[in-house]
Amino acid sequence: MVAPAIIIDRICKSYFSGRKRNQALCDLSLTIAQGEVFGFLGPNGAGKSTLIKLMLRFLKPDSGRMQIMGQTVGQEEFRHRVGYLSEFPFFYDHLTARETLLLSGRLSGMARKKIDQRSSFLLDRMNLTQAADRRVGGFSKGMKQRLGMANALVHEPELLIFDEPMSGLDPVGRHQIKELIIELKQQGKTIFFSSHILSDIEALCNRIGVINQGVLLYAGGLRDFLSVGEGLEERFVKVIEEDNHASAA
Amino acid sequence: MQALRNIWFLALATCTEGIRHRALWAIVCLSVLLTFANLSVTTLFTWDLGKVSVEFGLSAVAFTGLLLVFFLGMKILADDLERSRIFMLLSRPVSIWQYLAGKFLGLAMILLLATIILGLSAALSIHYVLWQYPGFMPPNFSWVSYAMALACQWMSLVMVLSVSVLCFSFASHPFVALLLAVSSYLVGQNMELLRRVVVENAHAGVLTGQDNLVFALSWIFPNLSLFDKKYAAAYGIVFSCQEFVLLCLYAISYSALIIYLATLLFKRKELA
Repeated sequence: MVAPAIIIDRICKSYFSGRKRNQALCDLSLTIAQGEVFGFLGPNGAGKSTLIKLMLRFLKPDSGRMQIMGQTVGQEEFRHRVGYLSEFPFFYDHLTARETLLLSGRLSGMARKKIDQRSSFLLDRMNLTQAADRRVGGFSKGMKQRLGMANALVHEPELLIFDEPMSGLDPVGRHQIKELIIELKQQGKTIFFSSHILSDIEALCNRIGVINQGVLLYAGGLRDFLSVGEGLEERFVKVIEEDNHASAA
Repeated sequence: MQALRNIWFLALATCTEGIRHRALWAIVCLSVLLTFANLSVTTLFTWDLGKVSVEFGLSAVAFTGLLLVFFLGMKILADDLERSRIFMLLSRPVSIWQYLAGKFLGLAMILLLATIILGLSAALSIHYVLWQYPGFMPPNFSWVSYAMALACQWMSLVMVLSVSVLCFSFASHPFVALLLAVSSYLVGQNMELLRRVVVENAHAGVLTGQDNLVFALSWIFPNLSLFDKKYAAAYGIVFSCQEFVLLCLYAISYSALIIYLATLLFKRKELA
């Protein structure tokens, strides 16, 4: 039996702001199977990025445990099997796009020859061949986002974690990323991505998770989430508003 | 083995980033200015021109190196956190100690390069002064002593850099880290003087009799005055290889310990 790609078991995380403790995630549990494309939805500040940072060990949970590709987060190494794209990808401004991919490939334990092959392929795939030997500091937001995508894919990971991959992209850039995600889905990669753009979620995901104020409100099939005659946006807004009213009451 | 490779790749990337940061061009410009300044400042003196020239050259190297540590080095470290660049690195199989060691090594390589460029530039101006005014050649002056003094200068900069990495690992804000690093440098620079005042002077104010406290402080803060060999190089005072080796061991062990402490503190930091 194939182990799930991600197991999140009763994760809690809080931050201190001065003396006040803010609960960012509360008792969140989630399982994502291998080969699944999972969309993670929620309003700003709901806890989407916090969960991603916990998965990648940038933050430590207050309680709960996580497993990624069968490895326990915080105890076993799994990051060579994961590709990550942050919402605002930042790179070394004075390294070129090719040097950036070389650094990432090297840190993932790849051989030089393999990195060169993958870099050329990915830079071409992301329409960055012309800019391959230019310093990243001069790149536009869209170019940095595409380089971020190439960077996440350079070591051919099995699991991809994207935090708002389409944010700040123009329609052409969004279309390219969307096409790529479909291609990765066909290759059987597991993709976990958070997004505000509901039409993208609708077009790409098998399952979704809806989070609000650190609490997972729904996790399951996209079709099961939608009521008859309702679009994803209407349903999402309704669920969030109902939860906000319930919390306020 | 992969751990050492990761450190090396991070060091190379940091060094490349630093060198292309316009800092190298600034150093080249400064070395040209230094050469001219040394020539003009030295001729203002009517005696000991050779000694003035050597001391001026080595002081300029030290000053520029400090600017590089506090502004370029700490900026590169702070940018990693403030601009979330660290996520790009730590989403790979790279541990915190590899990250900090790689950064430290990369910045130490930039300092080495800067010290070599500035040291050569200063050496050219010193050579010119000594050639113009051979009567003022310091007795026993040797270029080997000059090179060893320059190496000591670099080691002291590396120790200041390690303290800067430590401050960066726990400070809540880069500016706080900068202030702490500058303060540590000032304490370290005067540590030997403080130790002497307390040990050899019975009227050292509140510090009288606090030999143990000063002894402890001299082990906590980097004792940078030990590395100040400008005087020895300028006056041609013999400075033994044994002392040089001991200084190297002190610099390596102190820096390694500080980077280890920085790793422990950085692990507790939330990278939100």
